[in-house]
Amino acid sequence: MSRGLGWNVVLAACLLFFAALIGLPFWWVLTGSIKIPQEIIARMPTMIPHSFTLQHYQKLFSASDYPVYLINSLIVATASTVLTLLLALPAAYAFFRLRFPGRAIAYRTILLAYAFPSIVVLIPLFGLFAKVGLVDRLPALILVNTAFALPFAIWMLRSFLAGIPKEIEEAAVMDGAPTLTLLRHIMIPLIAPGIASVGIYAFITAWTEYVFASVLILSDAKRTLPVGFSGIIGQYQIDWGLLLAGASVAIIPVVTLFAFVGRGFVSGLTEGAVK
Amino acid sequence: MLQSRAIAFAFVAPALLFLAAILGWPLVQAVLLSLQDVRVIGSPGAFVGLSNYERVLGAPAFWRAVGLSAVWVLANAVLQTALALAAALVLNEKFPGVRIARTWIIITWIVPTVVVVVIWRWLFSTSGGMINPLLLQAGLIERPVGFFATPWTAMATLVFINSWRWFPFIALMVLAGLTRVPEELYEAARIDGANAWERFKSITWPLLAPTLSVLAVIGTLLSFNVFDIIWLLTAGGPAGGSRTLPVLIYETAFKGYRLSEAAAISVIATVLLMAFAILATRTLEKGEER
Repeated sequence: MSRGLGWNVVLAACLLFFAALIGLPFWWVLTGSIKIPQEIIARMPTMIPHSFTLQHYQKLFSASDYPVYLINSLIVATASTVLTLLLALPAAYAFFRLRFPGRAIAYRTILLAYAFPSIVVLIPLFGLFAKVGLVDRLPALILVNTAFALPFAIWMLRSFLAGIPKEIEEAAVMDGAPTLTLLRHIMIPLIAPGIASVGIYAFITAWTEYVFASVLILSDAKRTLPVGFSGIIGQYQIDWGLLLAGASVAIIPVVTLFAFVGRGFVSGLTEGAVK
Repeated sequence: MLQSRAIAFAFVAPALLFLAAILGWPLVQAVLLSLQDVRVIGSPGAFVGLSNYERVLGAPAFWRAVGLSAVWVLANAVLQTALALAAALVLNEKFPGVRIARTWIIITWIVPTVVVVVIWRWLFSTSGGMINPLLLQAGLIERPVGFFATPWTAMATLVFINSWRWFPFIALMVLAGLTRVPEELYEAARIDGANAWERFKSITWPLLAPTLSVLAVIGTLLSFNVFDIIWLLTAGGPAGGSRTLPVLIYETAFKGYRLSEAAAISVIATVLLMAFAILATRTLEKGEER
């Protein structure tokens, strides 16, 4: 496919625009976190750091509870991911392949759950969790985040299952494989990229959740990263260096995860969407 | 047959029961709560009928929040969809590094919202932020602007930040729609001498329009719920200029200690959102039939 010169110029300009729009903020934050305070608040900001210091990172890890928040967030996000997959996989398969009464209504209701304003359940959920002793405990957040990720997870896994050639499944059924064996040894390996995508989706949902974590957790030692970090924002007389270092560290886990499975996630997201 | 039905239920039941317990049951509780006069979590309340709804519907603050939510949702839908469409058209071309770009464009969406908040609060700030010096140098402004200082600039800035976070996600969905447009159509149009704009207008746009409208609806539902970006950047201010419905609900419940009233607002918000979702889906389905 050939392009005219004019079109190439337009394309390059657009590319540059989007690269700057998305890339520059991250560049400024990462480089800002290693600048000395005077350079951070300089009247004329610098593109490339003129100074180098790790003082903001030192302060972040010694003077604040940031490491605790980080570990709490990792626990919540990992557990939410596992629970979401355990619940979504069989459900997606049932909605895709098995026939049962109420199937259409149940599926629609689940999709509706994806759209409704989550803040509605915040208040009653607090009361519910208080009754069963889950307030101020990490499992509460694992349950909530799983509930938020579940509708989309089921929807996405179902469209991945729909992508499996029917012959493969039929051959296995013909051989007399029980449903569970079929799911475990044939379907799951075939949709491994889809499972990875859904897993990342669940992880990110939990990793970024703020509102419920801020209300359901009361003690500082159990805060997740978004809530703990937002506390640091107000706690100090805006210490930009500390905040930029904190932001940089909060980016690292998801970016690392994404570096390994990002391409699969994106193609999973888009392939799941078109079916 | 009977056995396979039992298996189906065994497969679906855990997920359904889970959603019923964590989302469904609290939703019922919210409705019940809105009919009582509970002020703080855990305290008992008496049945007061629809008086919470009367009070809410008669309060100017509520209608202002409805209006701001409408502005918020509409502005986000327009900006997000426009940016997403442009980005998707670029990513649909072939250039060195396109695969990397397609993966990493979504980075704005995978980092925690609180990080997005810190990034932009700093960039827009008047001490060390990049935006003001850039605008000054370009001659677009004469003195540094306090972006969060007045209601309208605060709202516009928040819309920009939220759209910045979400447009790559939507762009990837648009891209999925674009890759389904057969290449032969473009080839044929090129042979007929159609230029890039004509090809876009007569091939890409008609084929993409249904996808875009679905995404606009999804984007509307998602941005309606946005609370953390607004709360952490402006807390609904200045002067209530960014107090959308989720912010109003949170404030009423946890700052004003009027739990039942907050529940009433949230029930109304749910009804409004569901009505929109159903209406939009109907309209879209009708459009497809034509």
